[in-house]
Amino acid sequence: MPHHLLGVPGSYPLVEALWLLPLAGAILCWAFGPQLRTLAGWLASALVGASFVLAALSWGAATQTAGAALGASQALGSWLPGFDFGLLLDPLSLIWTFIITGVGFLIVFYSIGYMEGDRAYARFFAYMSFFVFAMLTLVLSDNWVGLLVGWGLVGVASYFLIGFWFQRPSAVAAARKAFVINVVGDAGMMFAIFLIVANVHAIGFGDVFSAAGGLSSTLVFWICAALFIGAVAKSAQIPLHTWLPDAMEGPTPVSALIHAATMVTAGVYLVARSAPLWSHNPQAQVLVGTVGAITALTGAILGTAQWDIKRILAYSTMSQIGYMIMAVGVGAYEGGVALFFTHAFFKAQLFLGAGLVIHALNNEQDVRRMGGLWKKMPFAFWVMLTAVLAITGVPGFSGFFSKDEVIFGDLQFGHPVLFAISALTAGITAYYMFRLLFIAFFGEYRGDVDHAHAPGWTMNVPVAILVAPSVAIGAALLSGGENSPWARFFAAQFGPDMAAIAHRPPAISEGVTSGIVFALVLIGFAIAWWRYASPGAQRDAGERLEGETRGMPAVLVHLFYVDDAIQLLFVRPAQRLGAFFGSIFDPHVIDGAVRDVVFWARWLGTLVRSFQTGLVRAYALILVFGATCFIVYYAFAAGALH
Amino acid sequence: MIEFWILAVILVASAVWTIAASKPVYSVVALLLNFAALAVLYVTLSAEFLAVIQIIVYSGAILVLFVFVIALLSSGVAPFAMGPNRLPKIWLPGGVVVLVSLGFLVYAASQAVPASVRPPNGPVGAANVFGSVSDFGAALFTVQLLPFEVTALILMVAVIGVITLGGEAMRDAAPRGHERKVERAMREAILREGTD
Amino acid sequence: MAVSIDHYVGLAAVMFFIGVIGVIVRCNPLVMLMSIELMFNAANLLFIAFARVWLQNAGHIFAFLVITVAAAEAAIGLAIIVTTFGPERYVDVDDVRALRG
Repeated sequence: MPHHLLGVPGSYPLVEALWLLPLAGAILCWAFGPQLRTLAGWLASALVGASFVLAALSWGAATQTAGAALGASQALGSWLPGFDFGLLLDPLSLIWTFIITGVGFLIVFYSIGYMEGDRAYARFFAYMSFFVFAMLTLVLSDNWVGLLVGWGLVGVASYFLIGFWFQRPSAVAAARKAFVINVVGDAGMMFAIFLIVANVHAIGFGDVFSAAGGLSSTLVFWICAALFIGAVAKSAQIPLHTWLPDAMEGPTPVSALIHAATMVTAGVYLVARSAPLWSHNPQAQVLVGTVGAITALTGAILGTAQWDIKRILAYSTMSQIGYMIMAVGVGAYEGGVALFFTHAFFKAQLFLGAGLVIHALNNEQDVRRMGGLWKKMPFAFWVMLTAVLAITGVPGFSGFFSKDEVIFGDLQFGHPVLFAISALTAGITAYYMFRLLFIAFFGEYRGDVDHAHAPGWTMNVPVAILVAPSVAIGAALLSGGENSPWARFFAAQFGPDMAAIAHRPPAISEGVTSGIVFALVLIGFAIAWWRYASPGAQRDAGERLEGETRGMPAVLVHLFYVDDAIQLLFVRPAQRLGAFFGSIFDPHVIDGAVRDVVFWARWLGTLVRSFQTGLVRAYALILVFGATCFIVYYAFAAGALH
Repeated sequence: MIEFWILAVILVASAVWTIAASKPVYSVVALLLNFAALAVLYVTLSAEFLAVIQIIVYSGAILVLFVFVIALLSSGVAPFAMGPNRLPKIWLPGGVVVLVSLGFLVYAASQAVPASVRPPNGPVGAANVFGSVSDFGAALFTVQLLPFEVTALILMVAVIGVITLGGEAMRDAAPRGHERKVERAMREAILREGTD
Repeated sequence: MAVSIDHYVGLAAVMFFIGVIGVIVRCNPLVMLMSIELMFNAANLLFIAFARVWLQNAGHIFAFLVITVAAAEAAIGLAIIVTTFGPERYVDVDDVRALRG
């Protein structure tokens, strides 16, 4: 199968360089932080930016060498015979690399202003650079083990950055929660890799995909399911999504880069990367598609009930990633990756815009204490508005094209129920995004910050740059259906996989589904307008919001009781087990063993001590005894006594 | 032949006398006899140089040191006391083991095949210069130079150790305040008596 | 009966054993040191006897080194005795138990 040839082998120093540059940035910022001072931010963003440029250059070089858009494959070394490590830059990983380094560059650059005056300025940039390196490891690896290494490293970077302000107990708790939940996913991934190694005896993507046809479908299903546990944890899918909203404890650029644009989409990357496994296994497809769709819907519903601007965006992220997972699950790989691509821009823009607001209002994150900000901060308003239009899928904006492709993909590959769920979710998305916009930017200001201080140009410029792709990149790359530049770019990578999925042509065309979705979006927008932005609603906005806070259904306040369920089902039993071991096993068995050892050592010591009389002549006698023993031994050894 | 037996008797007798003497000075004298007899035995074994060394170093240096210490310890006090002779408290098990082991050894020796190499016991220095000063010196300064140097180092360490210990002894022995007063009073008393 | 190496071995063993008994039985540190010298000399006798048997002067060298080390040992031993037992003390090694465990 030709598409299993992943990348043309060769020597690509540029790929290695783009991979290692952020690591150099991390090491420099970490080692010379006190000397670099504010230069740390410039250095880190320069190196990430250079990595972006190198990614473009190396893609050019790779296509020139290869002749076809198969990408570059650079061997790095061998772990064990047959278990080689290497870097792979094919269309899929190129898209991720572009987002990681490109959007990453803008966000790191933005952080120069955002983190200004923070005590641990250099440490922040060291972590950010390290994250970029880890994420590049994840997407550039050409084998499962390297991917898992990157997978773990991004988890560590995420842990460091969520808990960046470790003086706050809530940040520490959130970091720990994120890490522990992600470890559940890592365990699933590892189990999948065990299955792969045990049955295929290889770790490289190419080898595994070539051998996948010969594996039983049950085995492939279990490999997929175990891999998907990793994706569920990393991409905040139900039921392991609870860490993502809490992760908003980190600085806003972190939320933008790690918990919106890149790391949380690693699950999408994993499924898209394993497309040859999934596309031959309908059960695995249904599993992934269903989980994604439910997550999309749940995230959207929970997004309507939040008051913290970053938590609204976090649930929005969860919902959008649900879309992506659903798309790559059912087989709409291009669509899923396209949604990732566009989402990275407009969600980063949303977070950075929210960051502008939060920064200006002295770390105020509650939208109830905002309001009327479009007059105070027109730039932030326009940024947020374009991003909201993009995420809700207003025709012409980038989100329109990618989301349409995703939602139509459900019908295309024969999942009408998922189509219904995702269309409904699109309407709810419009509702909660416009709700955010209206509450925060319309009406009268309800907070108590007198002088909103304007962010510097280092913060405004990256956001302004992001506006361009989130508005226009959809029209530029995704319009044109089967002949769009996007489809042609991925034809070699995903074409065979998508063709392998059995499906009938859908009853309705993409135009009709677009119409349905847009109608739902309009309904959502209308409800939001009616509730928050109409003249009647704006008159007594404060009381209305208080009333809404009081009248919030308990099931939404408790976020569908998922945290409580996890607490009840896993945390409590684990604590009880711990208590059992702590109160019975540890003191009696472990400590008992230690005490016994001590007792016998003391006994032996007392025994031997009695020989240590301090009398020189007694020592002499013992010495003579020992010497005699030697002599007797040698007399025997020499065979004198027979 | 005959000289071996004479010397053997002298050696054993003087050794026994050394450990059995009632006063340390007698022990030194017995040891001197023992060492002298050994020196003669060395000459019969063609070790002329070592015989000389035995006399000079052992009898001349080490034993004189012993006598000196005995004199030091007995000075100004009652004549040097020997102290009691006791066996260590673990003498019974230790002694039993040692004796049993020795019994084994004696038995083993009695069973042993006689050594094939017999001492040539020829005339001293015959046919070669084996054991002479030149033979010994050549070996000591060529083949065995390293052990020789290491021994020098050990002697050096011993010298430093003795000086350190001596310094401690001097410090401890230095008269303290009230002792000095007593000393001065005694001196004055002696002077008074002298003038009387 | 000619004198064989076995006679020298026997003689040295007897001397050595007398030294051992001296160390163990006597309480006077000076006599103990002298007993140790006896043991050294017993060993030396063997070295020299075997050197004669095999006509190898390495035995002589070794005996020489033993004499040197014995001198050092005697010097240090006597210094310790002088330090430990003052002039007015009753000399008995069993009084000194600083090495007690």
